[in-house]
Amino acid sequence: MTNDDKARPLPHATDPHERELLPTATGPRTRSALRELARPHRRTAWAGFLVLATATGIGLLTAPVLGHIIDLVADGRPASAITTPVTWLALIAAVQGVATSFGVILVARVGEGMLATLREHFVERALGLPLERVERAGSGDLTSRVTNDVSVITNVFRDALPALARSVLTLGLTLVALAILDWRFLLVALLAVPIQAWTVRWYVQRAVPLYAAQRVAVGGQQQQLLGTIGGASTVRAFRLADDHVKQVAASSNKAVDLALRGIRLVTRFYSRLNLAEFVGLSAVLVAGFLLVRNGSVSIGTASAAALYFHSLFTPINIALGLVDDAQAATAGLARLVGVADMAPAPTEQTARPDDASVQISGVEYAYRPGHPVLRGVTLDIAGKERVALVGASGAGKTTLAKLIAGIHHPDRGTISIGDAGPATTGRTVALVTQEVHVFAGTLADDLRLARPDAEGDDLLTALDQVGALSWAEALPDGLDTVVGESGHRLTTAQAQQLALARLVLADPPVVVLDEATAEAGSAGARTLEAAAAAAIEGRTALIVAHRLTQAAEADRIVVLDKGVVVETGTHSDLVHANGRYAALWEAWSDNSRS
Amino acid sequence: MSDVLKRAITGQWRHSAGGSLLAAGHQVGEALVPVVIGVVIDKAVSTGDSGALLRWVGVLAVVFAVLSFSYRFSFRAAERASEQAAHGLRIELTERVLHPRGGAEHGRLPGELVNIASGDAKRVGAVHIALTAGVAALAGLVAGGFALLWVSVPLGLVVLLGIPPLLLLAHLLGRPLERRSGTEQERAAHASGVAADLISGLRVLKGLGAEATAVSRYRRTSRDSLAATLRAARAQAWHDGGMLALTGVFIAVVALVGGRLAASGDITVGQLVAAVGLAQFLLTPLSILAWANGELAQGRASAARIAAVLATPPAVADGAGALPAQVRGEVRLRNVSHGALNDLSLDVAPGEMLGIVAEPTAATALLRVLGRAADPDEGVITLDGLPFSELDPAAIRTAVLVAEHDADLFEGTLLDNVGAAAAPDGIVPAMSAASADEVADSLPEGSGTALTERGRSLSGGQRQRVALARALAAVPPVLVLHDPTTAVDAVTEARIAAGIREARAGRTTIIVATSPALLAAADRVVYVADGTVVTEGTHADLVHGDDAYRATVLA
Repeated sequence: MTNDDKARPLPHATDPHERELLPTATGPRTRSALRELARPHRRTAWAGFLVLATATGIGLLTAPVLGHIIDLVADGRPASAITTPVTWLALIAAVQGVATSFGVILVARVGEGMLATLREHFVERALGLPLERVERAGSGDLTSRVTNDVSVITNVFRDALPALARSVLTLGLTLVALAILDWRFLLVALLAVPIQAWTVRWYVQRAVPLYAAQRVAVGGQQQQLLGTIGGASTVRAFRLADDHVKQVAASSNKAVDLALRGIRLVTRFYSRLNLAEFVGLSAVLVAGFLLVRNGSVSIGTASAAALYFHSLFTPINIALGLVDDAQAATAGLARLVGVADMAPAPTEQTARPDDASVQISGVEYAYRPGHPVLRGVTLDIAGKERVALVGASGAGKTTLAKLIAGIHHPDRGTISIGDAGPATTGRTVALVTQEVHVFAGTLADDLRLARPDAEGDDLLTALDQVGALSWAEALPDGLDTVVGESGHRLTTAQAQQLALARLVLADPPVVVLDEATAEAGSAGARTLEAAAAAAIEGRTALIVAHRLTQAAEADRIVVLDKGVVVETGTHSDLVHANGRYAALWEAWSDNSRS
Repeated sequence: MSDVLKRAITGQWRHSAGGSLLAAGHQVGEALVPVVIGVVIDKAVSTGDSGALLRWVGVLAVVFAVLSFSYRFSFRAAERASEQAAHGLRIELTERVLHPRGGAEHGRLPGELVNIASGDAKRVGAVHIALTAGVAALAGLVAGGFALLWVSVPLGLVVLLGIPPLLLLAHLLGRPLERRSGTEQERAAHASGVAADLISGLRVLKGLGAEATAVSRYRRTSRDSLAATLRAARAQAWHDGGMLALTGVFIAVVALVGGRLAASGDITVGQLVAAVGLAQFLLTPLSILAWANGELAQGRASAARIAAVLATPPAVADGAGALPAQVRGEVRLRNVSHGALNDLSLDVAPGEMLGIVAEPTAATALLRVLGRAADPDEGVITLDGLPFSELDPAAIRTAVLVAEHDADLFEGTLLDNVGAAAAPDGIVPAMSAASADEVADSLPEGSGTALTERGRSLSGGQRQRVALARALAAVPPVLVLHDPTTAVDAVTEARIAAGIREARAGRTTIIVATSPALLAAADRVVYVADGTVVTEGTHADLVHGDDAYRATVLA
C-alpha cells in the first residue's frame, strides 16, 4: 500500500470561520459512559455471556467426539460402536442451537437497551442545547451526529456485537479445547497470532481513515446528485447540463476510486490472514504428526486438533473483520457521549408574566467582535400591542427578534418581558420564522407538540383560526394523515400555516414573527398574512415584515437602520412625517415612476 | 432480462469473467483444504512418514497460495466491474434527467430520482459481485462434490443429496421470520428517523418552547422501537440457532454413514476426516448461491426502475430550427392554453419591460410554456416570429431565460453561482443590480464564500438576490423573472426594481409578480385573470383605474 492511503481526510469538513464543533468525549469518558449504560443490564449481560459461553463450549465437543469416532474406527471397533457418539453429536448440535439462540437474545437485550438509553439521552440533551451553541457548531454537526453516528453505532450494536461476542468466545474456548487435547497443540496454534496481530494493526491504520474518506465521498456524491437532480429545471434553464454531468461524474468517480481502494485493502487483509491460517494449520498438522509418532496422542486426537483449527478460520475472520467497525463505532460513540454529557440549559422560567409587555433597553449585540449588529436599541412594547419592525437587510431586525425570543442574549442592555425579569423564553415568547419544518408523524401529533393535552376540537379550532381547516380536512386521512419527510408533502404555505396553528395552540402571551410569511410566492403571502394576523390576535406581537401592507396594519411601526431605531410611530404618523418610512411606502404603494 | 441489466453486465464482461474464473479458483482451493488435511492424516500422521508430511504440507502451501491470490484478484475485478457499471448508470441517469427536452422528473420527487441514481445504480452494479460469487460457488460445489464422490460414492451421495433438503428446510424455517422481521426492522429504524427529524426542526421546537414535549414523545418512540427491535432480534436468533442445530445434525448423519464405511474398511480414517470437512464446507457455496439469487432479484428490480426513468418520454417536442444570429427579443403568445392559461394572447415588443400579474397557477403555467418545460396544449408561442415548437429547446434557452421563483442554487462559492452561465463582463453589473453585492459583503469571505447545502446557508432573501444576479449576469435577449424578490425587504426591493430596469435596458424582460415596486418599474403591465388578459396599462394607471388589479397588488 502506498503512502497516500495514510492521508487522513477530516471526516467532517469544517468552516474555518468561528466554527466551534460540539464536544467529543475522551476515550476514558466514553468507556465510563458505556459502563454506566451497561449497569442496569448487568445481570442480563452476565447471563447472556454465560449462556453463550456454555453454548460455545458444548459446540466444541463436536471435534473430540469426531476424534473419538475416528479412534474407534482406527482401533477396528465394529460399526455399531459409533452409534452412541453419533447420537451425542446430534444432541450436542440441538443443545448448542437452543443455547445460542438464548444467549444471542440476552446479548441483544443488553445492547439494544443501552442503545435506546443512549439515543434518548442524546436527543434530550441535543434539544436542550442553547440554539446559539448549535449555530456556532453549524447545524450539520448535530445532524450528522444524530444520523451518521447513531446509524453506525446501531449497526455495530445490532450486527457486529453479537457476531463478535460469539467469534471471540469460539476462539477462546477452541484454544482452551486445543490445550486440553494437548498443551503443545495450543502452543503451535499460537504461531498464527503474531501474523494476525500484525495484519490487524496494518489494516486498522489504513481502514479507519480510508472508510472515513469513503463516507465523506459517498455523502458528497449524494449531495451532488441531490443538487443536480433537485435543481434540474434550473440546470436546464441556464444550460448547465454539461457542467453538472461533469460534476456528478467527478463526485461519483471519487466515491468509486475510494471504494476500489477499500476493496484492495480488504482483499489484502484477508490474503494476509490466509497466511496465518496456513502457518497455524501446518503447525498443528506437524505437531500432530510428531505427537502421534512419539505416542503422546492418538490419531483421533490429532485429527480433532486439525479439525478444531480448520473450524477457527471463519470466527477469526469475522472477529478481525469487525475491528474497523468497532473503531468507527467508538468514534461515533465519543461524539454522542460528548453531546449527552453537555450541561443542560438552565431550566426555563415557565411562570407567565402578569402583563405581556416587553421592555428593551440599550441592547447591543455582535455576532463577531467589532461588528456590532445592534447598537443600543431601546424600545417599549405595551401588552397586546402589535409592533412592526421595518428596515433594510442587515439593519438587525432578525437579530432583535432572536434576542426578544431569548435565542441570543444581549451583549449589553436588558430585555424584560412584563415583570418576569430579563430574557425569559419558552412559553412566554414564541418565535415563528420563515424556516418551516413539518414534523414526521400525523398532522395531529405535529400540532400537539405545541400543546400535548389538546383535544381534537382544539386542533380543529386552531387550524380554522389560521385558515388551514379546509385543506387539513381534505387530506386523505384528515388530521391523522402522516405528514413530513416520508408522508404527505405539504406546500410551503401550508407548512407555514401549520406553524401558525401551533402558535395558536401554544398560546404564548408574546409572539415574534420573523418574515413568517415570506417564503410563499406573492399570492400565497396574502393568505399567510391573514393567518398570521389571526394567530397573533390578543397577544403582544413583534412582526418583522417586508410587505409594507402587513406593517401598515400594525399598531406601531419601528424603523431600524444599521442597528438603531430611527423612526417609530403609527403608519399614518410616519407617512406624514416624510421620513424614511414615508419614502418606502411611496415606493411600495404607488404610484408612478416618473 | 432487461436492457439496463444486460448492458450493465456486458459493459464490464472482461472484469466480470476474469473475476468469476479466479473466484472459482478460490472456492476450489477452499474445498481442497479439508481434503489435504485428510491426506496428511492418512499418509503422514497415521504412517509416521516424514517425507510424506513435508510433501503434503508443501501441497497445502500451494493450495493456500492459489486460493489466497485468486480470492484477492477475483474480488477486486468484481468490485471494479460493479462500481464502474454503477458509475455508468449514474451518469446515464443524470444525462437523461438533465436532457433539454426534460420529462424524466415527471411524477417523481427529486429524492426518489437521487435514490435511483445512487441506490438502484449500485444494486445493478452489485449484480457483478453476485455473478462472480455465484459462479465461484458453483465451482466450489462441483469441486467439493467430486472430491466427496472420490472419497466414497455412497458417502458423497448422502452429502450431495442431503444438502438441498437441508437448505430448503432452512429456507422454509426462515421465511415467516424474515417476513416478520422485515416489518419489525422498519419500525426499529423509526427511532433514528424521528430523532433526525426532531433535530432538523430544532429551531421550530425552540421557537415554540416545545422541547420537553418533543423529548417525552421521543422517549416513547424509542421504547416502541426497542420493543420492535427485540422482537426482530428474537426471531432472528431462533432462526440462526435452528440453522446451527440442523447443520450439526447433518454433520452427525455424515459421521454416522462415514464412520460405518470406515469401520467396514470401505474408506480410510483420513477420508472420513476429509468427508466431514467437505460436508461442512459445502454449506457455504450453497448459501452463497441463495444469496446471489436474492441479489440478482434485487438487481433486476433496480434495473427496472432505472429503465423506467430512462424511457420516460420527453416533455416537449424536438425541433431542428436554428435561431437567428441576432435575437431581437420579440415574444408573441397566440391563443395559448395550458394548465390555468386559457386562450391567452400577448405581445412583448423587443426591448420592452413587461410586468404580468396573474394568479399563482396561471403564472406557473406561463413560466412552464415560456421555459419549454411543457408545450402549450393549444396556441403558438413565437420568438422573433419563429414558433417555439420548431426550435431546439436547448437553443431557445440561449435566447429566452426563465428564472423561476424557487430556482436552486448549487454547491460552490457565491461567485461560482452567479457566474455559472454569465456573459462576459456580466457578473459585476448583475451583482449590483440584484443587490447581491451586499449579500457578498455580509459573508465571511465575500463572493468567494462557499454556499453550503445548496444555498440553505443563506436567508431566503439573500438566496433570491443571488439567484436574480445569476439570471441577470447571463444577459439573455429575453429574460423572464418570476417573483424574484418575495423574501427581500421593502427597501432593498425598491433598489432592485431600479437595478433590473437599468441592467435590462434595451433587452426584453418579462416580470411575473405582484410586487408594486417591481410592477412600477415596468413599461407596461398586463393583468391576467381566469387564464386570459383582462386589462393592461402602466402600473400607476391600473392601480388607480382598476379595482380588481388594485386589490390583487396592494391587498
